[in-house]
Amino acid sequence: MGSALQCSHEHLSRSANGGDALVGATDELTSADHACAVPVSDEQLWELTAAFLAAGLARGEKVYYFDDGTSDAVLGRLVDDRVPVAGPLRRGQLEIVTSDVTRGAFHAPLPAVQELLNSYIDLSERDGWAGFRMTGQMSYGAARPAGIPLSSYDAVLDEVVRKRDSARALCLYDRTRYTDEQIEEMRAVHRAEVTAPAAYDDGLLRITRTGLGRARLAGEIDHSNRPMITTLLLGDLDKVLRAPNAPNDIVLNLASLRFLDVTTAVSMVQVAEGFPDTHRLVLTGVRPRVQRVFDRCGAAFARQLAIEELPEPGVAEEEDPE
Amino acid sequence: MKVTPRTPAGLALRHAVAFHDTTDDLLAQAVPLVREALDRGERVALTVPGVVEQAIRGAVGSAELVSLAPAVPPVSSVSGAAEGSGQTTAALRGRELRMLCRDEPAVTVVAVHDERLDGADGSYWTELDAALNVAVADLDVTMVCFYPSYPLHLEVLEGARANHALLLAGGELRENPAHRCPVEVLRSRPAQSPVVLGPPDLRLTYNSWQLHDVRGAVETAVGLVGFERARGEDLVLAVNEVATNAVEHGTADAELCLWASPTELVCEVHDGGTLGERLPGLKAPHPKDPRGRGVWIARQLCDLLHVWRDASGTHVRMHARP
Repeated sequence: MGSALQCSHEHLSRSANGGDALVGATDELTSADHACAVPVSDEQLWELTAAFLAAGLARGEKVYYFDDGTSDAVLGRLVDDRVPVAGPLRRGQLEIVTSDVTRGAFHAPLPAVQELLNSYIDLSERDGWAGFRMTGQMSYGAARPAGIPLSSYDAVLDEVVRKRDSARALCLYDRTRYTDEQIEEMRAVHRAEVTAPAAYDDGLLRITRTGLGRARLAGEIDHSNRPMITTLLLGDLDKVLRAPNAPNDIVLNLASLRFLDVTTAVSMVQVAEGFPDTHRLVLTGVRPRVQRVFDRCGAAFARQLAIEELPEPGVAEEEDPE
Repeated sequence: MKVTPRTPAGLALRHAVAFHDTTDDLLAQAVPLVREALDRGERVALTVPGVVEQAIRGAVGSAELVSLAPAVPPVSSVSGAAEGSGQTTAALRGRELRMLCRDEPAVTVVAVHDERLDGADGSYWTELDAALNVAVADLDVTMVCFYPSYPLHLEVLEGARANHALLLAGGELRENPAHRCPVEVLRSRPAQSPVVLGPPDLRLTYNSWQLHDVRGAVETAVGLVGFERARGEDLVLAVNEVATNAVEHGTADAELCLWASPTELVCEVHDGGTLGERLPGLKAPHPKDPRGRGVWIARQLCDLLHVWRDASGTHVRMHARP
């Protein structure tokens, strides 16, 4: 299923209101789950959203994403994660609800919203999907366009999800689009919160560990955060060298790395060259834009550096079961 | 293959000047040079006016000669002028000659002064020859530059005398007693400021933590100009490298200015620092060098990259056309 399901590092913790539901990782939300997450960065937002959507697609559920200018980034992350997207969109399993509809819901009275949600779930059951799940960018509602607090809409959603066994919902309150006060208010009304700890996240670059000597980099590396990369590589090498039966490769997944500056590329090449002869630095999913930087920095001559380019999106689609 | 430590490359370039009174005089000196080089089995490259090239080709018969790319820049749609930059031409020559030297044991270049590039005072040529002494210092190249004995600007003559280690006289290359190293030449004749442009379409002050904003601004601008995707991404990299240099080696705050027309993108980066290296990014970096590659790559990616200093600091102008 690809790395979207390699989310064993994600945890659900008890929510601030001390609710009674403690469930597993994002992809393990059980039926009737309604959880929230508070991403600290856009990269974490795309990561959590894509993982949640991917899990639903893998389970044969009907998956809705309520868009508000963010669907391109979410779909992009799904592609980075090698999750087939075109097929589910074509078949109607994955549906992007337009920004107009998303925003329009926050102008509607609560009973109408409840009816809308129930109709979505009815439709997914009627069409034979294994379940229903929804998430999206709901920050428009935080400004109370109809004078109704976001928590009231959330209460409606909670009631719908609890009554419908097949339904799951993940509410996202990211720190760039919600105030601290709004976040704490919404946290308090959710029974569970999804957390996804990172090795590093400065809002521009997010590093998540995916195993011993393995990590995933998402975002951009420049002068402001490049020291983290050398620290990460040397730290991982140290751990790998000390661990019994550890792999000989340090593997960095760069599928979601959109920018890399020249000095960082040079330092990665040089760090790889400094590895013991038995070990290699393997970069996977490298985008053409990043690949060109490595090409210009002598990567081809570094024996202990292996670079695997990001396959075209169509390659992942071939694995998509019709 | 391990990347080996850098060993200082010796000066291989033989940079000579020759003076002529008329075109016939020029040909009388240049043709024997070309013949002798061909007899030695060298590759000969020309950067001369059309009429001179025709005469040289006619004189040497069927011998294969290389024509280097014209140095006269097209008229900028932003400044309304053909902005000649000696350092940009030197970077171009460096790229061309490095390619030629990969396949050839030795190369002889015949270059002729072109008054269309004199600009206001002829300092273009001083800058070009000084920059060539840096850009191709390590190449096995004999470059003979022909200058008129009585140019319009005295600067052309003085620069030619100072920048060439050898002097062609009586058909022989002799040591030039007036020769000075490029650092000395550029200290007394610093790179000139280019044509002043009007108010920019965008002005952005940034620091080390706001390079993302710089990239975002350039990304938007390349979209407006209509560059192909890869070319646009490369230009974002180029500007990022120059912008990074400004805040890393110049001052904590720097400024980006952008001009975008349908056919051209012009970016300027200004900082208040004093650049140690007067013409950075001309020397091809060794893979072992941790630094100094960014501006070199930027020079390869832009149609023009001109660095100059004045009392207010260090400035870089970049031009790119789709």
